[in-house]
Amino acid sequence: MPLIEIDNLHVTFDAKGRAVHAVRGVSLGVEPRESFGLVGESGSGKSTILRAICGLAPVTGGEIRIGGKPLPRRRDRAFAARVQMVFQDPYASLHPRHTVDRTLGEPLAIHRLARGSERGRRIVQALADVGLDAAFRFRFPHQLSGGQRQRVAIARALMLEPEILLLDEPTSALDASVQAEALNLLARLKAERGLTFLMVSHDLAVIDHMCDRLTVMKEGRAVESLTHAQLAGRDMQADYTRELFAATTERIAAAE
Amino acid sequence: MTLLTVEDLRITFATEAGPVEAVRGISFSVGRERLGIVGESGSGKTMTGRAVLRLIRPPGRIEARRMLFDGIDLARIPEREMRALRGRRIAMVMQDPKFSLNPVMRIGAQLTEGLRLRDGMSARAARAKALEALEAVQIRDPERVLDAYPHELSGGMGQRVMIAMMLIPEPDLLIADEPTSALDVTVQAEVLRILDALVRERGMGLMFISHDLNLVARFCDRVLVMYRGRIVEEVAADRLSQATHPYTRGLLDCLPKIGGARGPLPTLARDAAWAE
Repeated sequence: MPLIEIDNLHVTFDAKGRAVHAVRGVSLGVEPRESFGLVGESGSGKSTILRAICGLAPVTGGEIRIGGKPLPRRRDRAFAARVQMVFQDPYASLHPRHTVDRTLGEPLAIHRLARGSERGRRIVQALADVGLDAAFRFRFPHQLSGGQRQRVAIARALMLEPEILLLDEPTSALDASVQAEALNLLARLKAERGLTFLMVSHDLAVIDHMCDRLTVMKEGRAVESLTHAQLAGRDMQADYTRELFAATTERIAAAE
Repeated sequence: MTLLTVEDLRITFATEAGPVEAVRGISFSVGRERLGIVGESGSGKTMTGRAVLRLIRPPGRIEARRMLFDGIDLARIPEREMRALRGRRIAMVMQDPKFSLNPVMRIGAQLTEGLRLRDGMSARAARAKALEALEAVQIRDPERVLDAYPHELSGGMGQRVMIAMMLIPEPDLLIADEPTSALDVTVQAEVLRILDALVRERGMGLMFISHDLNLVARFCDRVLVMYRGRIVEEVAADRLSQATHPYTRGLLDCLPKIGGARGPLPTLARDAAWAE
Protein backbone atom coordinates (compact mmCIF):
# COMPACT_ATOMS: atom_id res chain seq x y z
CA MET A 1 0.00 0.00 0.00
CA PRO A 2 1.34 3.44 -0.84
CA LEU A 3 2.51 5.52 2.12
CA ILE A 4 1.33 8.77 0.56
CA GLU A 5 -1.87 8.67 -1.50
CA ILE A 6 -3.26 11.68 -3.27
CA ASP A 7 -6.67 11.27 -4.91
CA ASN A 8 -8.04 13.77 -7.36
CA LEU A 9 -6.61 16.73 -5.45
CA HIS A 10 -7.88 20.23 -6.20
CA VAL A 11 -6.43 23.43 -4.74
CA THR A 12 -8.06 26.77 -5.40
CA PHE A 13 -6.63 30.04 -4.15
CA ASP A 14 -8.62 33.20 -3.79
CA ALA A 15 -6.65 36.05 -5.36
CA LYS A 16 -8.50 39.32 -4.78
CA GLY A 17 -11.84 37.68 -5.34
CA ARG A 18 -10.65 35.81 -8.42
CA ALA A 19 -10.37 32.03 -8.04
CA VAL A 20 -7.01 30.60 -9.11
CA HIS A 21 -7.27 26.88 -9.69
CA ALA A 22 -3.65 25.86 -8.96
CA VAL A 23 -4.03 22.07 -8.77
CA ARG A 24 -6.68 20.45 -10.96
CA GLY A 25 -7.37 16.84 -10.09
CA VAL A 26 -3.95 15.31 -9.48
CA SER A 27 -3.64 11.74 -8.19
CA LEU A 28 -0.48 9.93 -7.21
CA GLY A 29 0.82 7.31 -4.81
CA VAL A 30 4.25 7.11 -3.19
CA GLU A 31 5.39 3.75 -1.84
CA PRO A 32 7.30 3.48 1.45
CA ARG A 33 11.00 4.25 0.99
CA GLU A 34 10.40 5.44 -2.53
CA SER A 35 11.68 8.70 -4.02
CA PHE A 36 8.99 10.36 -6.05
CA GLY A 37 9.61 13.46 -8.17
CA LEU A 38 7.33 16.27 -9.31
CA VAL A 39 8.64 18.29 -12.26
CA GLY A 40 7.28 21.28 -14.10
CA GLU A 41 7.69 25.01 -14.61
CA SER A 42 6.75 27.49 -11.90
CA GLY A 43 3.05 27.93 -11.63
CA SER A 44 2.48 24.29 -12.59
CA GLY A 45 1.24 23.50 -9.09
CA LYS A 46 4.04 21.16 -8.04
CA SER A 47 5.02 23.05 -4.88
CA THR A 48 1.35 23.61 -4.09
CA ILE A 49 0.90 19.84 -3.79
CA LEU A 50 3.60 19.69 -1.12
CA ARG A 51 2.04 22.63 0.69
CA ALA A 52 -1.40 20.99 0.50
CA ILE A 53 0.00 17.90 2.22
CA CYS A 54 1.27 20.14 5.04
CA GLY A 55 -2.04 21.96 5.30
CA LEU A 56 -0.57 25.17 3.93
CA ALA A 57 -2.79 25.40 0.83
CA PRO A 58 -6.59 25.56 0.52
CA VAL A 59 -7.66 22.09 -0.62
CA THR A 60 -11.01 22.35 -2.41
CA GLY A 61 -11.45 18.79 -3.53
CA GLY A 62 -10.05 15.28 -3.32
CA GLU A 63 -8.25 13.55 -0.51
CA ILE A 64 -4.73 13.09 0.85
CA ARG A 65 -3.98 9.97 2.89
CA ILE A 66 -0.79 9.09 4.77
CA GLY A 67 -0.45 5.42 5.71
CA GLY A 68 -4.03 4.80 4.57
CA LYS A 69 -5.61 7.40 6.87
CA PRO A 70 -7.05 10.69 5.67
CA LEU A 71 -5.20 13.64 7.17
CA PRO A 72 -6.87 15.51 10.02
CA ARG A 73 -8.27 18.88 9.05
CA ARG A 74 -5.70 20.62 11.23
CA ARG A 75 -2.31 19.00 10.95
CA ASP A 76 -1.38 17.89 14.47
CA ARG A 77 1.84 17.05 16.24
CA ALA A 78 1.61 13.42 15.19
CA PHE A 79 1.61 14.61 11.57
CA ALA A 80 4.66 16.82 12.14
CA ALA A 81 6.49 13.88 13.70
CA ARG A 82 5.82 11.87 10.56
CA VAL A 83 6.04 14.37 7.72
CA GLN A 84 8.52 17.24 7.41
CA MET A 85 9.30 19.69 4.67
CA VAL A 86 12.53 21.25 3.40
CA PHE A 87 11.96 24.52 1.58
CA GLN A 88 13.65 25.91 -1.50
CA ASP A 89 15.41 28.96 -0.23
CA PRO A 90 17.64 28.46 2.79
CA TYR A 91 18.01 32.23 2.96
CA ALA A 92 14.30 32.66 3.60
CA SER A 93 13.34 29.51 5.49
CA LEU A 94 15.54 29.88 8.59
CA HIS A 95 14.63 32.49 11.19
CA PRO A 96 17.29 35.20 10.76
CA ARG A 97 17.44 36.03 14.46
CA HIS A 98 17.46 32.49 15.83
CA THR A 99 20.73 30.63 16.30
CA VAL A 100 21.10 27.19 14.77
CA ASP A 101 20.72 25.86 18.32
CA ARG A 102 17.34 27.52 18.75
CA THR A 103 16.11 26.49 15.29
CA LEU A 104 17.00 22.85 15.91
CA GLY A 105 15.80 22.91 19.53
CA GLU A 106 12.34 24.23 18.71
CA PRO A 107 10.82 20.93 17.49
CA LEU A 108 12.25 19.18 20.58
CA ALA A 109 10.61 21.74 22.84
CA ILE A 110 7.24 21.69 21.06
CA HIS A 111 7.11 17.90 21.17
CA ARG A 112 8.57 17.81 24.71
CA LEU A 113 11.19 15.35 23.60
CA ALA A 114 14.35 16.52 25.26
CA ARG A 115 15.66 19.17 27.66
CA GLY A 116 18.97 20.14 29.18
CA SER A 117 21.95 18.03 28.27
CA GLU A 118 19.87 15.55 26.24
CA ARG A 119 18.64 18.47 24.12
CA GLY A 120 22.22 19.58 23.52
CA ARG A 121 23.33 16.08 22.66
CA ARG A 122 20.58 15.67 20.07
CA ILE A 123 21.36 19.01 18.46
CA VAL A 124 25.06 18.23 18.14
CA GLN A 125 24.18 14.79 16.76
CA ALA A 126 21.76 16.33 14.22
CA LEU A 127 24.50 18.68 13.05
CA ALA A 128 26.95 15.78 12.76
CA ASP A 129 24.39 13.81 10.71
CA VAL A 130 24.28 16.53 8.08
CA GLY A 131 28.06 16.94 8.10
CA LEU A 132 28.32 20.10 10.19
CA ASP A 133 30.73 20.60 13.07
CA ALA A 134 29.38 21.33 16.58
CA ALA A 135 30.97 24.79 16.24
CA PHE A 136 28.01 25.80 14.02
CA ARG A 137 25.56 25.35 16.90
CA PHE A 138 25.57 28.95 18.13
CA ARG A 139 25.79 30.69 14.78
CA PHE A 140 23.11 32.75 13.10
CA PRO A 141 21.95 31.98 9.54
CA HIS A 142 23.75 35.03 8.12
CA GLN A 143 27.03 33.55 9.37
CA LEU A 144 26.52 30.45 7.21
CA SER A 145 26.96 29.85 3.48
CA GLY A 146 23.99 28.78 1.35
CA GLY A 147 25.05 25.13 1.45
CA GLN A 148 25.51 25.21 5.23
CA ARG A 149 22.09 26.79 5.65
CA GLN A 150 20.43 24.11 3.57
CA ARG A 151 22.17 21.50 5.75
CA VAL A 152 20.71 23.19 8.83
CA ALA A 153 17.27 23.19 7.17
CA ILE A 154 17.62 19.47 6.49
CA ALA A 155 18.81 18.85 10.07
CA ARG A 156 15.78 20.76 11.37
CA ALA A 157 13.42 18.64 9.28
CA LEU A 158 15.03 15.47 10.66
CA MET A 159 14.90 16.49 14.37
CA LEU A 160 11.63 14.60 14.91
CA GLU A 161 12.84 11.57 12.96
CA PRO A 162 10.04 11.70 10.36
CA GLU A 163 9.36 8.94 7.82
CA ILE A 164 8.53 11.32 5.02
CA LEU A 165 10.48 14.30 3.72
CA LEU A 166 8.79 16.73 1.36
CA LEU A 167 11.57 18.47 -0.56
CA ASP A 168 10.69 21.67 -2.40
CA GLU A 169 13.55 22.48 -4.80
CA PRO A 170 16.08 21.68 -2.08
CA THR A 171 19.14 22.48 -4.18
CA SER A 172 18.06 25.03 -6.75
CA ALA A 173 19.53 27.94 -4.76
CA LEU A 174 22.94 26.25 -4.54
CA ASP A 175 26.10 26.19 -6.67
CA ALA A 176 26.80 23.06 -8.70
CA SER A 177 29.45 21.77 -6.33
CA VAL A 178 27.31 22.48 -3.26
CA GLN A 179 24.26 20.96 -4.96
CA ALA A 180 26.21 17.73 -5.46
CA GLU A 181 27.08 17.65 -1.75
CA ALA A 182 23.47 18.32 -0.70
CA LEU A 183 22.08 15.65 -3.05
CA ASN A 184 24.63 13.15 -1.76
CA LEU A 185 23.65 14.03 1.80
CA LEU A 186 19.95 13.48 1.06
CA ALA A 187 20.66 10.15 -0.66
CA ARG A 188 22.76 9.00 2.30
CA LEU A 189 20.17 10.02 4.91
CA LYS A 190 17.46 8.32 2.89
CA ALA A 191 19.40 5.04 2.77
CA GLU A 192 20.38 5.19 6.47
CA ARG A 193 16.92 6.03 7.79
CA GLY A 194 14.64 4.43 5.22
CA LEU A 195 13.02 7.76 4.39
CA THR A 196 10.35 8.35 1.79
CA PHE A 197 10.91 11.41 -0.42
CA LEU A 198 8.43 13.49 -2.36
CA MET A 199 10.62 15.94 -4.20
CA VAL A 200 9.84 18.94 -6.37
CA SER A 201 12.30 20.32 -8.89
CA HIS A 202 12.31 22.14 -12.19
CA ASP A 203 15.57 20.36 -13.03
CA LEU A 204 14.89 17.02 -14.70
CA ALA A 205 18.52 15.97 -14.22
CA VAL A 206 18.20 16.35 -10.43
CA ILE A 207 14.92 14.39 -10.41
CA ASP A 208 16.48 11.75 -12.64
CA HIS A 209 19.39 11.41 -10.24
CA MET A 210 17.27 11.18 -7.09
CA CYS A 211 13.90 9.66 -7.95
CA ASP A 212 12.46 6.23 -8.80
CA ARG A 213 9.33 7.64 -10.39
CA LEU A 214 8.12 11.08 -11.38
CA THR A 215 5.11 13.01 -12.52
CA VAL A 216 5.37 15.90 -14.97
CA MET A 217 3.01 18.75 -14.23
CA LYS A 218 1.68 21.60 -16.30
CA GLU A 219 -0.94 24.20 -15.41
CA GLY A 220 -2.12 22.29 -12.38
CA ARG A 221 -2.52 18.95 -14.12
CA ALA A 222 -0.42 15.81 -14.25
CA VAL A 223 0.79 15.54 -17.84
CA GLU A 224 2.59 12.25 -17.60
CA SER A 225 4.09 9.82 -15.10
CA LEU A 226 7.35 8.05 -15.82
CA THR A 227 9.66 5.60 -14.13
CA HIS A 228 13.33 6.43 -13.79
CA ALA A 229 14.15 3.94 -16.54
CA GLN A 230 11.66 5.52 -18.93
CA LEU A 231 13.12 8.99 -18.33
CA ALA A 232 16.69 7.80 -18.77
CA GLY A 233 15.66 5.98 -21.97
CA ARG A 234 13.75 9.04 -23.26
CA ASP A 235 10.67 6.86 -23.38
CA MET A 236 8.03 9.56 -22.97
CA GLN A 237 4.61 10.09 -24.55
CA ALA A 238 3.65 13.71 -23.93
CA ASP A 239 5.08 16.48 -26.09
CA TYR A 240 5.41 18.70 -23.05
CA THR A 241 7.68 16.18 -21.31
CA ARG A 242 9.81 16.06 -24.43
CA GLU A 243 10.00 19.85 -24.48
CA LEU A 244 11.07 19.93 -20.85
CA PHE A 245 13.61 17.22 -21.51
CA ALA A 246 15.02 19.20 -24.43
CA ALA A 247 15.09 22.40 -22.35
CA THR A 248 17.12 20.59 -19.70
CA THR A 249 19.59 18.92 -21.99
CA GLU A 250 19.88 21.65 -24.58
CA ARG A 251 18.93 24.67 -22.46
CA ILE A 252 18.64 26.82 -25.53
CA ALA A 253 18.19 26.02 -29.15
CA ALA A 254 18.79 29.58 -30.28
CA ALA A 255 22.49 29.35 -29.49
CA GLU A 256 23.41 28.06 -32.93
CA MET B 1 36.04 44.71 -32.38
CA THR B 2 36.94 45.17 -28.76
CA LEU B 3 34.51 47.19 -26.65
CA LEU B 4 36.12 46.86 -23.29
CA THR B 5 39.65 45.97 -22.22
CA VAL B 6 40.34 45.34 -18.57
CA GLU B 7 43.91 44.99 -17.35
CA ASP B 8 44.99 43.84 -13.92
CA LEU B 9 41.72 44.49 -12.11
CA ARG B 10 41.81 44.18 -8.33
CA ILE B 11 38.97 44.63 -5.87
CA THR B 12 39.94 44.90 -2.23
CA PHE B 13 37.73 45.11 0.83
CA ALA B 14 39.11 46.58 4.03
CA THR B 15 37.92 44.39 6.88
CA GLU B 16 38.75 44.22 10.60
CA ALA B 17 41.05 41.33 9.84
CA GLY B 18 42.93 43.30 7.17
CA PRO B 19 42.36 43.73 3.42
CA VAL B 20 40.54 40.92 1.58
CA GLU B 21 41.04 40.69 -2.18
CA ALA B 22 37.80 39.61 -3.86
CA VAL B 23 39.28 39.95 -7.36
CA ARG B 24 43.02 39.51 -7.73
CA GLY B 25 44.57 40.94 -10.85
CA ILE B 26 42.43 39.74 -13.75
CA SER B 27 42.64 40.86 -17.36
CA PHE B 28 40.11 40.26 -20.12
CA SER B 29 38.40 41.94 -23.03
CA VAL B 30 34.87 41.97 -24.39
CA GLY B 31 33.92 42.49 -28.03
CA ARG B 32 30.52 42.52 -29.68
CA GLU B 33 29.98 38.99 -28.44
CA ARG B 34 28.51 36.94 -25.63
CA LEU B 35 31.20 36.54 -23.00
CA GLY B 36 30.33 34.15 -20.19
CA ILE B 37 31.84 34.47 -16.72
CA VAL B 38 31.31 31.40 -14.57
CA GLY B 39 32.35 30.36 -11.10
CA GLU B 40 30.87 29.52 -7.75
CA SER B 41 29.49 32.06 -5.32
CA GLY B 42 32.40 33.98 -3.87
CA SER B 43 34.55 33.54 -6.97
CA GLY B 44 34.41 37.27 -7.75
CA LYS B 45 32.30 37.09 -10.92
CA THR B 46 29.61 39.49 -9.72
CA MET B 47 32.25 41.86 -8.33
CA THR B 48 33.96 41.87 -11.72
CA GLY B 49 30.70 42.88 -13.42
CA ARG B 50 30.01 45.61 -10.89
CA ALA B 51 33.57 46.92 -11.09
CA VAL B 52 33.14 47.75 -14.78
CA LEU B 53 30.39 50.17 -13.76
CA ARG B 54 32.34 51.22 -10.66
CA LEU B 55 29.46 50.08 -8.51
CA ILE B 56 31.53 48.85 -5.57
CA ARG B 57 30.83 50.74 -2.38
CA PRO B 58 33.42 51.50 0.30
CA PRO B 59 35.03 49.73 2.12
CA GLY B 60 35.51 48.05 -1.25
CA ARG B 61 38.13 49.54 -3.56
CA ILE B 62 38.68 49.06 -7.29
CA GLU B 63 42.14 49.24 -8.81
CA ALA B 64 43.08 48.52 -12.39
CA ARG B 65 45.96 49.36 -14.66
CA ARG B 66 43.37 50.15 -17.32
CA MET B 67 39.66 49.66 -17.98
CA LEU B 68 39.33 50.97 -21.50
CA PHE B 69 35.84 51.40 -22.88
CA ASP B 70 35.66 53.14 -26.27
CA GLY B 71 38.87 55.04 -25.56
CA ILE B 72 37.74 56.09 -22.08
CA ASP B 73 39.65 54.74 -19.10
CA LEU B 74 36.89 53.84 -16.66
CA ALA B 75 39.46 53.46 -13.91
CA ARG B 76 40.48 57.13 -14.17
CA ILE B 77 37.50 59.28 -15.13
CA PRO B 78 35.72 61.32 -12.44
CA GLU B 79 32.45 60.08 -10.99
CA ARG B 80 30.45 62.68 -12.94
CA GLU B 81 31.64 61.27 -16.28
CA MET B 82 31.10 57.75 -15.04
CA ARG B 83 27.50 58.60 -14.23
CA ALA B 84 26.96 59.76 -17.81
CA LEU B 85 28.07 56.34 -19.07
CA ARG B 86 26.04 54.24 -16.66
CA GLY B 87 22.78 53.02 -18.12
CA ARG B 88 23.28 54.96 -21.31
CA ARG B 89 26.31 53.15 -22.73
CA ILE B 90 26.98 50.39 -20.20
CA ALA B 91 24.00 48.84 -18.47
CA MET B 92 23.51 46.08 -15.98
CA VAL B 93 20.69 43.60 -15.37
CA MET B 94 20.64 42.28 -11.82
CA GLN B 95 19.88 38.81 -10.68
CA ASP B 96 16.57 38.94 -8.91
CA PRO B 97 13.62 41.09 -10.01
CA LYS B 98 12.14 40.71 -6.53
CA PHE B 99 14.97 42.74 -5.06
CA SER B 100 15.98 44.98 -7.92
CA LEU B 101 12.71 46.66 -8.82
CA ASN B 102 11.25 49.28 -6.52
CA PRO B 103 8.36 47.47 -4.79
CA VAL B 104 6.24 50.60 -4.22
CA MET B 105 6.54 52.10 -7.69
CA ARG B 106 4.49 51.10 -10.70
CA ILE B 107 6.44 49.47 -13.53
CA GLY B 108 5.60 52.33 -15.89
CA ALA B 109 7.00 54.94 -13.50
CA GLN B 110 10.22 52.94 -13.11
CA LEU B 111 10.62 52.41 -16.83
CA THR B 112 10.10 56.06 -17.71
CA GLU B 113 11.97 57.65 -14.79
CA GLY B 114 15.27 57.74 -16.64
CA LEU B 115 13.71 58.95 -19.88
CA ARG B 116 11.94 61.83 -18.19
CA LEU B 117 14.69 62.94 -15.84
CA ARG B 118 17.76 62.20 -17.91
CA ASP B 119 16.47 62.75 -21.42
CA GLY B 120 13.79 65.31 -20.53
CA MET B 121 11.07 63.45 -22.42
CA SER B 122 7.39 64.24 -22.00
CA ALA B 123 5.28 61.76 -20.04
CA ARG B 124 3.46 60.72 -23.18
CA ALA B 125 6.61 60.15 -25.26
CA ALA B 126 8.30 58.28 -22.41
CA ARG B 127 5.28 56.02 -22.02
CA ALA B 128 5.27 55.24 -25.73
CA LYS B 129 8.95 54.37 -25.58
CA ALA B 130 8.41 52.16 -22.51
CA LEU B 131 5.60 50.31 -24.29
CA GLU B 132 7.89 49.72 -27.21
CA ALA B 133 10.60 48.36 -24.92
CA LEU B 134 8.16 45.96 -23.24
CA GLU B 135 7.04 44.74 -26.63
CA ALA B 136 10.67 44.18 -27.59
CA VAL B 137 11.05 41.73 -24.71
CA GLN B 138 7.84 40.02 -25.77
CA ILE B 139 5.58 41.00 -22.95
CA ARG B 140 1.99 40.40 -23.91
CA ASP B 141 -0.40 43.08 -22.72
CA PRO B 142 2.28 45.73 -22.05
CA GLU B 143 -0.38 48.32 -21.10
CA ARG B 144 -1.40 46.25 -18.11
CA VAL B 145 2.24 45.67 -17.09
CA LEU B 146 2.99 49.40 -17.14
CA ASP B 147 0.27 49.98 -14.54
CA ALA B 148 1.24 46.99 -12.39
CA TYR B 149 3.41 46.88 -9.28
CA PRO B 150 6.37 44.47 -9.25
CA HIS B 151 4.65 41.98 -6.89
CA GLU B 152 1.85 41.59 -9.43
CA LEU B 153 4.27 40.14 -11.99
CA SER B 154 5.73 36.65 -12.15
CA GLY B 155 9.51 36.19 -11.91
CA GLY B 156 9.85 35.82 -15.66
CA MET B 157 7.87 38.98 -16.36
CA GLY B 158 9.84 40.92 -13.74
CA GLN B 159 13.10 39.81 -15.31
CA ARG B 160 11.92 40.88 -18.75
CA VAL B 161 10.87 44.24 -17.36
CA MET B 162 14.38 44.74 -16.01
CA ILE B 163 15.89 43.82 -19.34
CA ALA B 164 13.51 46.21 -21.10
CA MET B 165 14.52 48.96 -18.68
CA MET B 166 18.20 48.46 -19.48
CA LEU B 167 17.59 48.37 -23.21
CA ILE B 168 15.71 51.64 -23.56
CA PRO B 169 18.93 53.72 -23.87
CA GLU B 170 20.41 51.11 -26.27
CA PRO B 171 23.67 50.47 -24.41
CA ASP B 172 26.80 49.25 -26.19
CA LEU B 173 27.64 46.87 -23.38
CA LEU B 174 25.21 44.95 -21.21
CA ILE B 175 26.35 43.25 -18.02
CA ALA B 176 23.84 40.57 -17.07
CA ASP B 177 24.34 39.09 -13.62
CA GLU B 178 22.55 35.73 -13.40
CA PRO B 179 19.69 37.18 -15.46
CA THR B 180 17.90 33.85 -15.72
CA SER B 181 18.75 32.05 -12.49
CA ALA B 182 15.45 32.95 -10.87
CA LEU B 183 13.53 31.69 -13.90
CA ASP B 184 12.19 28.35 -15.12
CA VAL B 185 13.97 26.57 -17.90
CA THR B 186 11.22 27.41 -20.37
CA VAL B 187 11.09 31.14 -19.52
CA GLN B 188 14.88 31.11 -19.33
CA ALA B 189 15.12 30.07 -22.98
CA GLU B 190 12.87 32.97 -23.94
CA VAL B 191 14.93 35.57 -22.05
CA LEU B 192 18.12 34.19 -23.59
CA ARG B 193 16.63 34.45 -27.04
CA ILE B 194 15.95 38.16 -26.42
CA LEU B 195 19.51 38.78 -25.23
CA ASP B 196 20.89 36.81 -28.12
CA ALA B 197 18.92 38.86 -30.64
CA LEU B 198 20.29 42.07 -29.13
CA VAL B 199 23.86 40.91 -29.58
CA ARG B 200 23.28 39.81 -33.15
CA GLU B 201 21.00 42.62 -34.34
CA ARG B 202 22.30 45.63 -32.44
CA GLY B 203 25.91 44.48 -32.16
CA MET B 204 25.78 44.89 -28.42
CA GLY B 205 28.48 43.36 -26.21
CA LEU B 206 27.24 41.08 -23.45
CA MET B 207 28.96 40.01 -20.27
CA PHE B 208 26.91 37.08 -19.03
CA ILE B 209 27.62 36.17 -15.42
CA SER B 210 26.32 32.79 -14.29
CA HIS B 211 27.03 29.81 -12.09
CA ASP B 212 25.34 27.49 -14.59
CA LEU B 213 27.99 25.89 -16.78
CA ASN B 214 25.61 24.08 -19.11
CA LEU B 215 23.75 27.27 -19.78
CA VAL B 216 26.89 29.27 -20.51
CA ALA B 217 28.24 26.53 -22.75
CA ARG B 218 25.08 26.65 -24.86
CA PHE B 219 24.58 30.37 -24.92
CA CYS B 220 27.92 32.19 -24.96
CA ASP B 221 30.76 32.52 -27.44
CA ARG B 222 33.62 32.56 -24.99
CA VAL B 223 33.82 31.67 -21.31
CA LEU B 224 36.03 32.86 -18.46
CA VAL B 225 36.15 30.51 -15.47
CA MET B 226 36.80 32.27 -12.17
CA TYR B 227 38.02 30.77 -8.93
CA ARG B 228 38.74 32.80 -5.81
CA GLY B 229 39.22 36.08 -7.61
CA ARG B 230 41.33 34.75 -10.48
CA ILE B 231 40.55 33.67 -14.03
CA VAL B 232 41.73 30.07 -14.06
CA GLU B 233 40.70 29.23 -17.59
CA GLU B 234 39.45 30.86 -20.76
CA VAL B 235 37.79 28.61 -23.28
CA ALA B 236 35.54 28.77 -26.34
CA ALA B 237 32.02 28.05 -25.09
CA ASP B 238 31.43 25.15 -27.44
CA ARG B 239 34.59 23.53 -26.12
CA LEU B 240 33.69 23.96 -22.45
CA SER B 241 32.95 20.24 -22.11
CA GLN B 242 36.59 19.64 -23.07
CA ALA B 243 37.94 22.18 -20.57
CA THR B 244 41.23 21.14 -19.07
CA HIS B 245 41.54 23.01 -15.80
CA PRO B 246 40.80 20.68 -12.86
CA TYR B 247 38.46 23.27 -11.31
CA THR B 248 36.35 23.55 -14.49
CA ARG B 249 36.39 19.78 -14.84
CA GLY B 250 35.32 19.39 -11.21
CA LEU B 251 32.39 21.77 -11.67
CA LEU B 252 31.26 19.93 -14.80
CA ASP B 253 31.55 16.51 -13.20
CA CYS B 254 29.44 17.28 -10.15
CA LEU B 255 26.31 18.03 -12.20
CA PRO B 256 23.77 15.20 -12.33
CA LYS B 257 22.99 14.01 -15.86
CA ILE B 258 19.84 12.40 -17.18
CA GLY B 259 20.55 8.71 -17.50
CA GLY B 260 23.74 9.10 -15.49
CA ALA B 261 24.92 6.77 -12.72
CA ARG B 262 22.79 6.82 -9.54
CA GLY B 263 25.69 6.61 -7.05
CA PRO B 264 27.01 9.57 -5.08
CA LEU B 265 27.87 12.53 -7.31
CA PRO B 266 31.53 13.43 -7.48
CA THR B 267 32.21 16.47 -5.32
CA LEU B 268 34.76 19.14 -5.96
CA ALA B 269 38.16 18.60 -4.37
CA ARG B 270 39.66 22.07 -4.19
CA ASP B 271 43.34 22.64 -4.62
CA ALA B 272 44.94 25.70 -3.01
CA ALA B 273 47.31 25.96 -5.97
CA TRP B 274 44.43 26.96 -8.33
CA ALA B 275 44.13 30.28 -6.57
CA GLU B 276 47.81 31.17 -7.06
